[in-house]
Amino acid sequence: MSGTSVEERDDLRRSVRELLARRCDDAARRVAIDSEQGHDPHLWAQLAELGATSLAIPDELSGAGYGAVEQAVVLEELGARLAPTPFFGTVVLAASALLASGDLEAQKRLLPGIAEGTTLAALAVVEADGIWKGKNFAARADQSDGSWRLTGEKTLVIDGAVADLLLVAADTDAGPTLFAVAEGPGVARTPLRTLDLTRRMATITLSGATGTPVGSIGAAGPILDAVLDRAMTALAAEQTGAARACLQASVAYARERVQFGRPIGSFQAVKHRCADMFTRVELAAAAADEAAHAADGDEDRAPFQVACAVAHTVCSESAMATAAENIHVHGGIGFTWEHSAHLYFRRAKASQLLFGGPAVHHERLLSRVGL
Amino acid sequence: MRTDVTIPSPAHPAGASDMDAFIARATRFLEASATRRAVEHAVEWGAGPDRITYFGDDSHEVAAAKVEQARAWQKTRYEAGFGWITGPPEFGGLGLTPVHDLVYDGLEAQYDVPDTAVLSLIGLGMIGPTILAHGTEETRAHFLPRMYAGEVIACQLFSEPSAGSDLANVSTRAVRDGDDWVLNGQKVWTSVAQHAHVGLALCRTNPDQPKHKGITAFLVDMSAPGVEIRPLRQMSGGDEFNEVFLTDVRVPDARRLGDVDGGWRVALTTLMNERASVGSEGAGPAARAISLPFLTALLKANGRLDDPVARRRLAELYADQAATEYLNRQALNRLREGGQPGPEASVSKLMYAQNITRGTHFAAEVVGPRLLADTGQWGTFSWNELLLSTPALRILGGTEDIMKNILGERVLGLPKEPSTDATTPYRDLRTSGSQA
Repeated sequence: MSGTSVEERDDLRRSVRELLARRCDDAARRVAIDSEQGHDPHLWAQLAELGATSLAIPDELSGAGYGAVEQAVVLEELGARLAPTPFFGTVVLAASALLASGDLEAQKRLLPGIAEGTTLAALAVVEADGIWKGKNFAARADQSDGSWRLTGEKTLVIDGAVADLLLVAADTDAGPTLFAVAEGPGVARTPLRTLDLTRRMATITLSGATGTPVGSIGAAGPILDAVLDRAMTALAAEQTGAARACLQASVAYARERVQFGRPIGSFQAVKHRCADMFTRVELAAAAADEAAHAADGDEDRAPFQVACAVAHTVCSESAMATAAENIHVHGGIGFTWEHSAHLYFRRAKASQLLFGGPAVHHERLLSRVGL
Repeated sequence: MRTDVTIPSPAHPAGASDMDAFIARATRFLEASATRRAVEHAVEWGAGPDRITYFGDDSHEVAAAKVEQARAWQKTRYEAGFGWITGPPEFGGLGLTPVHDLVYDGLEAQYDVPDTAVLSLIGLGMIGPTILAHGTEETRAHFLPRMYAGEVIACQLFSEPSAGSDLANVSTRAVRDGDDWVLNGQKVWTSVAQHAHVGLALCRTNPDQPKHKGITAFLVDMSAPGVEIRPLRQMSGGDEFNEVFLTDVRVPDARRLGDVDGGWRVALTTLMNERASVGSEGAGPAARAISLPFLTALLKANGRLDDPVARRRLAELYADQAATEYLNRQALNRLREGGQPGPEASVSKLMYAQNITRGTHFAAEVVGPRLLADTGQWGTFSWNELLLSTPALRILGGTEDIMKNILGERVLGLPKEPSTDATTPYRDLRTSGSQA
């Protein structure tokens, strides 16, 4: 069960929303998009000050000791604003990997910095084929002179260019293993042009970089499986926020835009489009909520492994559909670079494909129900 | 965080503990009177009757027997105090909120009990509350206890050939004659008319007023002379609903409901009580047929469980079904905790129609040409009954299009379509077939 009441989560939501309204309006978001880092460090510091970065980290590791349900509140708001922050890469992917590793020493060393917002971290799993997997990596880690050296290329690494801490999945003679790699010799980062302008990615080239194992040697597979479930849950909340924002933008525009002498929202063709968007948003919200509560061990919910896979499928579809419809309701103006609608379209497609895309989600979901 | 459970705080009014007690009472009643439905994890293909029903196409004898079962279960409910949860105690009700009603439905859906839709969907759910709100003391005392004890079945004489989605356009005339009114006209899509004892009819009493302002509501004795019920055969084969022809039917003024020309208010009460059945749709043969275990068994039996195309569609279907189920359960839980019903019911209804329709077409595709004729092979031709019911799911209880108008206007705040039909005298309105 979650450790907070609905009222407390509403308070949290209000705080994050107010902060984003202040620090991440359309203009600020554009500045962040065009900046070298790809995000606004002041916003990040304020999110950390609010406690957003520490919510789902246990209190003995400098966190607030809450869970996925509370983190989902923050993610929904970040998704609604498409706030370019390192939250997903650092607080979701990297922190989940550290927590799933069961490596108390690494957790004590690395999680407090994430909780405080002072460490930016990135999880480097994917290689040239773009596939999220837990084994058979081309990247290699070998021991020499008592230290681990990593070689290989990781790509589509979220926040890979700005991260202080890289968590890299690489094969060893004893199987796939996760390594913490700090900035240093043998680490080269290449920022990438991205479909999603509000979420940066990089290629990390490792040539004999020093790494410290996180978790047991050969244990990356189960760690990355656990990360994936957490990440799908978090992404679902973010997608729900984005889908709702698209619905709200469409409804607002349909109420004010006048053609043929009346607001276009009075035409059923537009009204029904908005009603369909609403249906998809409500469904996404239910799926995301189920996954978050299930992640936190609420026994009255669906099994977590099923709920997070359902949420990833439903919320990916919902975010994509509402982003496309939002552009359509706006007409030509929605197709312009200046309008924010395309940012949601970009994020929706990028999130849908991040962990493999619908064909992969569907098989994953079936495997979760024993098929 | 709940810090104190003994002192009610403003955020948790006394309702929550009442609800717990109510749930406990209802559960005790159901445990004592019915069997809990087993959760089905796997389906044995080929076992059991080869029928997938949505609307029945039962023989009249079987249908009549089911009506009797429904009446008996309603009587049992009534005697245990659950026959009319929202009703006032003087008419055998419990005096609780619509939320308690929804919660009870959610509980009862977990048990194998006779389907009481024939009584409850229209009569108890919609017409009872309308009589309560608009009836005279005599009318209320006459109908309400009998209806909720399962003795009197009521139907709704609302829709007409020219008044479907636009219900206020009814043309059935009622003309005053002494202490009676004389009714002439035709009603249509009348469910349960063949079993009903009384019908709530909307009639035109003043054609010179705009359409909403010249309607009067009457309680019509379905056995009165001049009431002719003709079954309407549905495309799925059965004849569950009817046309009702009213020819010089005399209704005493004492059976008028509400004011003369005030019938639209009465109708709104009825429509407002069209129940949000959040969470109770998981039961029944249609839901079972498109459930994951059933569709999996279908794929397995047809050697398609490894077919990537079939798997993909199965996953899509299951994801939407599961999310709809989560939505229903979450809505029900919010109600239990003292929340108010939201727009979930509309979303749930739209998704329910979509899930069943897509699931059924998927099954039909897997069955393939064997759907075309009854060769006696189990689980093939029998899908037709459900398949041929699916178009109705987007029409009945308010078409999908009207539902989307309501969502757009009432939930999202989009403007209504401009029109003059609400201000023009009824007799000057264009009707289907007339010239513009």
